[in-house]
Amino acid sequence: MTAPRVKDIQDVCCKPETQWKFADILADAAIQDRWQKVRRYFFLRESTYDMARRCNIRCEGCYFFEGPKQNAAENRDPDAWRKLMRAEKARGVTFVVLAGAEPALAADLCRVCYEEMPLGTIATNGLVAIPDDVGYRIHISVWGNDATSERVRGAGRMLERQIDNYRNDPRAVFVYTFTPANIDEVREVTEILAGHDAKITFNMFSAPVGYAGPLKHTPESLRRTREAMLGLLADFPDHVLFSNYNAVVHTHRLGLHDLFACPYPRRNATRNVGLGRSFRQYRTDLNWDRKAACCVPDTDCDDCRHYAAGSAIVTSKLFRHATDPETFRAWLDYVDTYLAVWVTGYEKGSNLYTGVTAPPCCAP
Amino acid sequence: MAVETKEAEIVLKVAEVLIDELKLEDVTPATFDADIDLVDEIGIDSMDLATVALVLQDHYGIRFDEDDYPTLTTVRKIATYIGERLAS
Repeated sequence: MTAPRVKDIQDVCCKPETQWKFADILADAAIQDRWQKVRRYFFLRESTYDMARRCNIRCEGCYFFEGPKQNAAENRDPDAWRKLMRAEKARGVTFVVLAGAEPALAADLCRVCYEEMPLGTIATNGLVAIPDDVGYRIHISVWGNDATSERVRGAGRMLERQIDNYRNDPRAVFVYTFTPANIDEVREVTEILAGHDAKITFNMFSAPVGYAGPLKHTPESLRRTREAMLGLLADFPDHVLFSNYNAVVHTHRLGLHDLFACPYPRRNATRNVGLGRSFRQYRTDLNWDRKAACCVPDTDCDDCRHYAAGSAIVTSKLFRHATDPETFRAWLDYVDTYLAVWVTGYEKGSNLYTGVTAPPCCAP
Repeated sequence: MAVETKEAEIVLKVAEVLIDELKLEDVTPATFDADIDLVDEIGIDSMDLATVALVLQDHYGIRFDEDDYPTLTTVRKIATYIGERLAS
């Protein structure tokens, strides 16, 4: 399979000439099947939780160590966490994202969360194995090959150790974060991970507020990243959890907020429905601040192309993408990818749309 | 197919779509409380509202504004919105 030719998809509007009825879009059997598959998961309502403010490494550009959340006291009381999870369930949260600094350093608390809330994901650097009885999806951060990881993250033999900890682990998804400096390393890393039959997805480094260092993307690095993503998706279809549309929206010249408007409370004043109503970002002291609440707090929203952000931002734009079969297929691919990446046991289907299409940035 | 234009008829149609799309049980269009908060009382969310809006767009041949449908949290509000669109 060859990667599609990349047209100029940096336009921000893509209005179809014909206004399709939703029913006519769904008349396509493949679209209908995928729609019925993904809509079963519309019940997912997430919040995120910082499990520890400690980390065993220190990465340049880490968003956790920006802003006030890094100074919140750690609540290590399992009973307090159990009580929180029960309260979260009562207010309708159905999916938890456990992060940190490094949540593996609070594995006992992760276990408590899992006992109360069975659906969720843990975002970890992968150097401390999370026990098998914590059945969440596990996202292992990869920022390049081992030489780059040692330079940027201060940790040696990182990929080797991550693979050792999560060899043949069905929970694990390796998340390769693209920076301008590591685009040329992604194929080498993907080959290694695919050789171990691991699943891989892609993320984009998104600058913390005030960061102006070399990890921040440029127009050229966005273009090169998109080409790399599309090529790897074509060459490793059984291991790369991604789609062409993922590549388009996450490498667009506009960040996700400018493309679609971020629905998290930090940028969304709406409180009556959706993430503006339900989402919270809890700090290690079990408090939360609506003004800061989003999936990667203290990230510069103008630069945000984060895979976690896209999972909510793009997915929530069902209405905007239901304009024509091509756009809707692309959106379904995106949602199918997001569910495979975040929900244990969800199997990704073949991508329905093999072209590249500009995001429907304008509301229909 | 003739499209309902009177508010009472639109209310019934909106309730019917909600019941069908969200697989609501133990309720009919006639017994659906048009003023109940769909989010607080029934637990529907923004994706559900988007789906319902798309189906209603098809039926009435109107366009919902993307910024409006998240605020339409009762059957009556949705019906009034549709009525206004039809009138204009």
